[in-house]
Amino acid sequence: MELIEKLTVLADAAKYDASCASSGAPKRSSKGKDGIGSTNGMGICHSYTPDGRCVSLLKILLTNFCLYDCQYCINRRSSDVPRARFTPEEVVTLTLDFYQRNYVSGLFLSSGIIQSPDYTMEQLIRVAKVLREEHQFRGYIHLKTIPEADPALIAEAGRYADRLSVNIELPSAESLVRLAPEKELISITGAMGTIDSASQESRFDKRAPAFAPGGQSTQMIVGADASDDSRILRTAETLYGQYRLRRVYYSAFSPIPNSPSSVPFQAPPLMREHRLYQADFLLRGYGFKVNELIGAQGNLPLDIDPKLAWALANRDLFPVDLNLAEPQVIARIPGIGVRSAQRIVDLRRLKRIRFDDVVRLRCVIEKAKPFMITSDYHPQQASLESSVLRRQLSDQPAQMALWG
Amino acid sequence: MQVLCCDDDFERWRAQARHLLMQQVAPHAVVWADQVQPQLFANAPNADEQPAMAPALPPPRVSAQLLGELETAAQYRTPGRWNLLYRVLWRVVEGERHAGLAGDADGSELQRRIKAVRREAHHLHAFVRFHPLTDHPWLDYVAWHECAHDVLASASMHFAERLGRQRWLIVSSRDAVWYDGHELHYRRTCPGEWASLAARARDSGDPLWETYYSSIFNPARLNPEVMQGHMPLRFWAGLPEGHLIAGLISRARTGAQKHGQTEALAGKSGKVIRSLQQHSAANRKAP
Repeated sequence: MELIEKLTVLADAAKYDASCASSGAPKRSSKGKDGIGSTNGMGICHSYTPDGRCVSLLKILLTNFCLYDCQYCINRRSSDVPRARFTPEEVVTLTLDFYQRNYVSGLFLSSGIIQSPDYTMEQLIRVAKVLREEHQFRGYIHLKTIPEADPALIAEAGRYADRLSVNIELPSAESLVRLAPEKELISITGAMGTIDSASQESRFDKRAPAFAPGGQSTQMIVGADASDDSRILRTAETLYGQYRLRRVYYSAFSPIPNSPSSVPFQAPPLMREHRLYQADFLLRGYGFKVNELIGAQGNLPLDIDPKLAWALANRDLFPVDLNLAEPQVIARIPGIGVRSAQRIVDLRRLKRIRFDDVVRLRCVIEKAKPFMITSDYHPQQASLESSVLRRQLSDQPAQMALWG
Repeated sequence: MQVLCCDDDFERWRAQARHLLMQQVAPHAVVWADQVQPQLFANAPNADEQPAMAPALPPPRVSAQLLGELETAAQYRTPGRWNLLYRVLWRVVEGERHAGLAGDADGSELQRRIKAVRREAHHLHAFVRFHPLTDHPWLDYVAWHECAHDVLASASMHFAERLGRQRWLIVSSRDAVWYDGHELHYRRTCPGEWASLAARARDSGDPLWETYYSSIFNPARLNPEVMQGHMPLRFWAGLPEGHLIAGLISRARTGAQKHGQTEALAGKSGKVIRSLQQHSAANRKAP
């Protein structure tokens, strides 16, 4: 099979993994050195596809032959898809070529399970090792970790990769049993634990070799089972706490050709995925707890963002005086982010904050207005019922597109 | 009213501004023209000539941070770009420390320009497309890239960190930058030879990349507005994948949206893999 045909099959097979981040790597440079590649911690999106997703890494599978039969996965063994397999050398050549042409900032390599988990993991490691050692490649490498692989192999992968990820796949152990019969929650969390302890070791023991400095991430599929947002966010919160994950990615289940009857035929609304990302961001960046954002059961509202929903449910904490409040409290006002909160605090050392100052900081003023006080402004809406405010502030229902 | 011109050169503007501050010339009494316009204010003194005026104040001192911000904002292309910079500088020197901050009317505009310049540098790092040259005596890669602001000189070293000792050239319709493997050479006006090298490479496609781009796209999640927000239309012509976008969108709209598989594979025959148990069961059945 020609390389170009393999690429068609194995990029198509890899698209269901949402992660394409190239952030979190330490600063590396090839200036004046042999080899190529640099990282600066930030990551670069080199292109965007018409689905609005960033292309940052060459994201491919080494092979989509797979022994497992995960029902939500297009590459499951019972799926009738064209199959292909790259040699490790082909992946190395493609990565270097795409990197030098400035299409990508590195490689995100995953694979179907062939022969055995250990064999598959060895193949993935081989690609990373050849890139790093034979080609002195200093760009970003993200390796998917096969949870059932030997911990020694996971440790080896971490020496070459900037990021490792083990996919949790589904928010509950029961769903995993039902939809991914060969996978077990205990081996998935076990691999996360192996990665976390190796990464902690290298962080605190300077003599230990570097280990996946970009940390680990995971992906949860949304809408392939009946789990609600509360369940999903609680699982995410546990993973952030127990294994120090950098990111949990939420991937709206994307219906696949010849879908088995065990999974839905329809995709969940993409807005649901978006609201989960917003809530996740509030957990990671704003110090919110899941319990503040959602009850023990249920889903996030689709018509308003989770921060606004929280503020509407906690009207007694508002309005907040921007000239007096702590920055963390200001950042909890809908429409005002962490960065704007810091800017407000910087500015008020020099002068009293007025309404126009907040407008100039480009906060989402319509959202923020009912919840804030400045030296020249007190919200009239402060006395409005939350339900009325919600109607005023909710995202307008979008008109349906003419063509699907 | 003094009319000055700094030829869009920050160091020249800085020397002029320092001189004006020492002479206590307020922002409303000076204007920077984008080009030299001798006929407009025939008697306007040129600050480069340092006219002898009243004894000057000692040279003003401002923080390195403000100077850096002014230098970044100076890369923002807009008519009369230097006037705002002097107004901010003047006000800070006069004691209005918040004049450069986002909450101030001038500072807000300054910060907006800085943000746009940083974004344009980021666009450069993201959307340059290098074309390899074989057997060229002083070049390995060449690219054509149009920046909306003057970031080519300040933001190109990024590629030296990325590409090690490789030699590369980035050309625009105005300026150009060449890295010879050791040093960066910036030209305010792109030499003709460089421009023709880049023009020849510009239109060469890359089947592998175009295949990857089409295959990694998920038609079931079509969202062109988000794509265009991140990747403005003006860059598409310079991207090998640019000409694919319209077709991918329209085909996704008219059919393939039900699932995510790429069109190139939809008609192909597949391969179901039998598990080990099924495999051995099948073997047992065979005579």
